[in-house]
Amino acid sequence: MDGIHDLGGKQGFGPIDVGEKEERFHAAWEARLVGIVRGMTRVAPWSIDWFRYVRELIDPADYLTRPYYDQWLQTYAAMMVNSGVATVDELASGKSTAAIPDLAPPAPPSAVAAAARTTVRFDRESSAPPRFAVGDAVRTHVHAAPGHTRLPHYVRGRRGTVTASHGAHVLPDASALGEERSEPLYTVAFAARELWPEATAPRDRVYLDLWESYLEPA
Amino acid sequence: MAEDRDPHRIQAIHHELHSHLPPEPALRVKALESLLVEKGLLDPQTVDAWIEVFTEQIGPKRGATVVAKAWTDPAFKERLLADGTAAITELGFEGWAGGHLKVVENTPTIHNLVVCTLCSCYPISILGVPPNWYKTAAYRARAVRDPRGVLAEFGETIADEVEVRAWDSTSELRYMVLPERPAGTEGWDAAALAGLVTRNAMIGTARDLVPRQEPG
Repeated sequence: MDGIHDLGGKQGFGPIDVGEKEERFHAAWEARLVGIVRGMTRVAPWSIDWFRYVRELIDPADYLTRPYYDQWLQTYAAMMVNSGVATVDELASGKSTAAIPDLAPPAPPSAVAAAARTTVRFDRESSAPPRFAVGDAVRTHVHAAPGHTRLPHYVRGRRGTVTASHGAHVLPDASALGEERSEPLYTVAFAARELWPEATAPRDRVYLDLWESYLEPA
Repeated sequence: MAEDRDPHRIQAIHHELHSHLPPEPALRVKALESLLVEKGLLDPQTVDAWIEVFTEQIGPKRGATVVAKAWTDPAFKERLLADGTAAITELGFEGWAGGHLKVVENTPTIHNLVVCTLCSCYPISILGVPPNWYKTAAYRARAVRDPRGVLAEFGETIADEVEVRAWDSTSELRYMVLPERPAGTEGWDAAALAGLVTRNAMIGTARDLVPRQEPG
C-alpha cells in the first residue's frame, strides 16, 4: 500500500537528533512493553508481516507523531481485537470481561534464556530456479501489491542491478494476509542518480532486498 | 485458525483504540499487562526476565566483540562476511532478528550505511534495541536520499571518491557494518579493540574510529 510508513526519500524532515543519550530505553514503560510482547502467548496466526501491515494501517497523522513503542502497543492491541482475544473496552480498563479458550500456561521466566537465543529463519526450500542471476539488469514494477509489500515507492519503475541471490524467502505480501508462499529474493543495487534528481556522486548506490515478483528484466 | 485480515476493519479498530485507551502510554502499557495476566496469556516475571536480557545481555557490546574478532582473526572475518548468522552463532549471539545476518565491510573506498525505510528493522541480537534516531521519520526518509548529509550531521565528512552504499533493510536480512580497524592499534588484543567500536560505527553513521587510550 502507498502508506505514510513508506518514508524513503520523503523530503521536509528536519535534522537527526545526533546528541541523543545512548540508552536502551527512554522510559520504564518502553522496556515493559518490549518485555510484554516477547513474553506473551501468541493465540492467533500472527506473523511479522501481519504486524507490519497492521502498524502501516495506523492513521497517517498518528503514525508520524505517536512514540515508537507506543505504536507497537497500538499494533498489538489492534491485532488482539481483530483476532477476538480482547475487546477495546478490556484494553482500556485492563480488566478481563470475557473468557478466552483454555490455553497452556504462559511462558515462565525460566524459558527466557533459551527464547532469547532462538533464531527465526525465513528462507525456504524451493525447486523453482531463480529467474535472475547476479549481474542482471532489472526494473521494478511501477505498481506494487495493494496490501502489504516491501517494494518501497522510491524504487518503483527504476532500473537496478542484481548483486546477490538469496534463494527462496517467505513473501511478505502473502504472509501479511496469512498465506505462506516463498519466492526468490535478491539484493538489487540502484545508482543514486537513477533514484534522485539532485544526486551528484556517480558511484553512490542504494541496496534493497527485493522479491522476484517485484522485478522484471530491464 | 484463519482470521479476517480486512484493512478497513483494522483501520476502524485503530480509530476506536485511539479514542478509548488511556491518554498516557505508561497507563496503556499497564492496562495491557494487567489484561494479559488476567487472561492467562502472560507471566509478569517473564516480562522482568526479558527486560533484564535487553538491559544486561543484548546490546552493542556484542557487535563490538564480533568486529574486534574479525579484525584479529582473518579466518573468522572470512566466515563472518560469508555467513553472518553462522559466525555470530559461534559466539552465542544468535537470536531476535539474527536469522539472516549480512555483514558489509567498510574499506578506504567504500562506506556503508544501514537503514530501514519501511519500518525499523535492526540486527537486535548483536546491537540490542535500536537508538531512537534510527526509528525516526527523518532518518528513514533521508538515509537513502541524502546519506552524505546525514553523515555530516553525525560529524562524518565522506570524501567524494568514496562510494557510499545505503542498505535499506526491506527483507528479513539484517545488516551490520564492519568498520575499518583504526591505524595505530597494531598489537592491541581483541578486548582492547572492542572498546573502540561504537554502535554508530556498526550502523554506519560513524566511520573513523579513533584509538582513545592505550591498551591496559
